[in-house]
Amino acid sequence: MNLLHLEQLSIAYGPIKALHAINLEVHEGEIISLLGANGAGKSTTLRAISRLIPVLSGKINYKGKNLLEYQPHTVVAQGIAHVPEGRGIFPGLTVLQNLQLAGWTVKHKKQLKLNYESVFNLFPRLAERIAQSAGTLSGGEQQMLAVARALMTNCRLMLLDEPSMGLSPLLVKEVFRVLREINKRGTTILLVEQNANMALKIAHRGYVLENGRIVLCGSASELMQDHRIIDAYLGAAKK
Amino acid sequence: MIYTIIQQMFNAIQLGAVYALIALGYTMVYGILRMINFAHGDIFMCGAFIGFLLATKIGLPLWLMLPMAMCLTALLGVIIERIAYRRLRTAQKMSLVITALGVGIFLENFVMLMVGPATKQLPQQLPGSIVQWFFKYNITVTWDRIWIIIISLVLMAVLWLFVNRTLMGTAMRAVADNKDIVPLMGININQVIAVTFAVGSALAAAGGIFYGQSYSIDPYMGIDLGWKAFIAAVIGGIGSIEGAVLGAFLLSGVEIFTVAYLSSNLKNGISFGLLIILLLIRPNGIMGKPILKKV
Ligand SMILES: Nc1ncnc2c1ncn2[C@@H]1O[C@H](COP(=O)(O)OP(=O)(O)OP(=O)(O)O)[C@@H](O)[C@H]1O
Ligand SMILES: [Mg+2]
Repeated sequence: MNLLHLEQLSIAYGPIKALHAINLEVHEGEIISLLGANGAGKSTTLRAISRLIPVLSGKINYKGKNLLEYQPHTVVAQGIAHVPEGRGIFPGLTVLQNLQLAGWTVKHKKQLKLNYESVFNLFPRLAERIAQSAGTLSGGEQQMLAVARALMTNCRLMLLDEPSMGLSPLLVKEVFRVLREINKRGTTILLVEQNANMALKIAHRGYVLENGRIVLCGSASELMQDHRIIDAYLGAAKK
Repeated sequence: MIYTIIQQMFNAIQLGAVYALIALGYTMVYGILRMINFAHGDIFMCGAFIGFLLATKIGLPLWLMLPMAMCLTALLGVIIERIAYRRLRTAQKMSLVITALGVGIFLENFVMLMVGPATKQLPQQLPGSIVQWFFKYNITVTWDRIWIIIISLVLMAVLWLFVNRTLMGTAMRAVADNKDIVPLMGININQVIAVTFAVGSALAAAGGIFYGQSYSIDPYMGIDLGWKAFIAAVIGGIGSIEGAVLGAFLLSGVEIFTVAYLSSNLKNGISFGLLIILLLIRPNGIMGKPILKKV
């Protein structure tokens, strides 16, 4: 089933166009990787879905609803969580307070309790550091917290912006393992990555952005075989 | 000797409580918007006049007048933010500062038009009798002052609990911490900012009414007291709630003791001197954390 659908979506920052009429579909239950070099427009795409930036033209449909009528905070209540580039935790608040805020839109106490349980089950390290101020967590722990916060919102669709950024290879593996687990538990994932190798390994399908245009899309296995992908993104990793 | 010091300390605590109630509004708004709300002193003045009107025209007793005036002033603060500041939130900080100054002048003139320039007296609604226990030691403390100090401290404690122990308070600190991320938590940032203005204005109203219990009020009272409270907030470390309270009592202490033991002419010179020296030693105030973005 079609959960999210971007149709002919164009975005501009002032006079500079960042996205040129892109089309992208995310089906329920999938992991979709959105790949591309620096400045390709990956973060822009996620920001548009979260309604953080205005749309020049085109449509964003989610569960049959027109997302353009929503605001950033009401998008969350619709079940979309955005883990932004650079994690975006609240460094001055404790781990618990970060999680509490993410549960803002969850009104039922029971549901909230379930969310905490699944978060602490997935991230036992966070459970141990509940009273620690988030700014003093290690980079890996901060990334875990950012993902944990997304889970607290009770999301159906999780948008992740380069969760592997700045992490050691071991931690990157751990993050991707957790994402796969989250997906298995029923959350659809749209994953922005420069680490194409890892991203395609866990994804069902992928899209490649170049200068604001989708230049390639297909199943993850197809993309991994595509010589353009291998040359541009996997070359170094395959060697 | 020790008794006169205690006497002066009472005066300092009473004045400090008023400074603190105003300073909290400056510091809270600064914390979340990185903006000095220069209209805040005039919101304090409006709070005093709203209390005055409720007490004289409707005849409300203090225990009704105080919460009602706080609510109405909170509403005033929210309306000011909605009409004058919200559209400028992404504009240059300077536009916001000029707008705030303009709002302040508007409030002064508006109140002047409504009630006239003459000073007014809030009716004495608290028992003005002398506390006998202190009088034995030649310390003149009236019950109304004791009540004012107690209610002020209770209000500050409630504010502290609100900011540190409720989800809305956590959201306010989150806006101060990393504003751009707050909407991604499903939190309406406008709502958080409105609550901040409401709380800050309500506290200023309480400060205005307490001030009016001991001094006369006039449409320009907010200028002098607003500056003093602003200094208190800066001394304490603007953005910090504990700092604002600390700065307020420090400043009032310095002022009262300067007047008592040196000269009342030196009052402002010494308090501003204190500000300058303190900021040279601790540029971010006593409790302030260094922040990268400045006005
Ligand atoms: N706030 C902004 N104002 C102006 N231009 C912007 C803004 N944000 C992004 N851009 C431009 O839009 C284009 C796409 O940026 P975007 O952040 O989406 O890239 P990205 O694919 O996420 O890159 P990276 O991998 O480096 O994060 C870039 O050319 C960038 O310079
Ligand atoms: Mg990016």
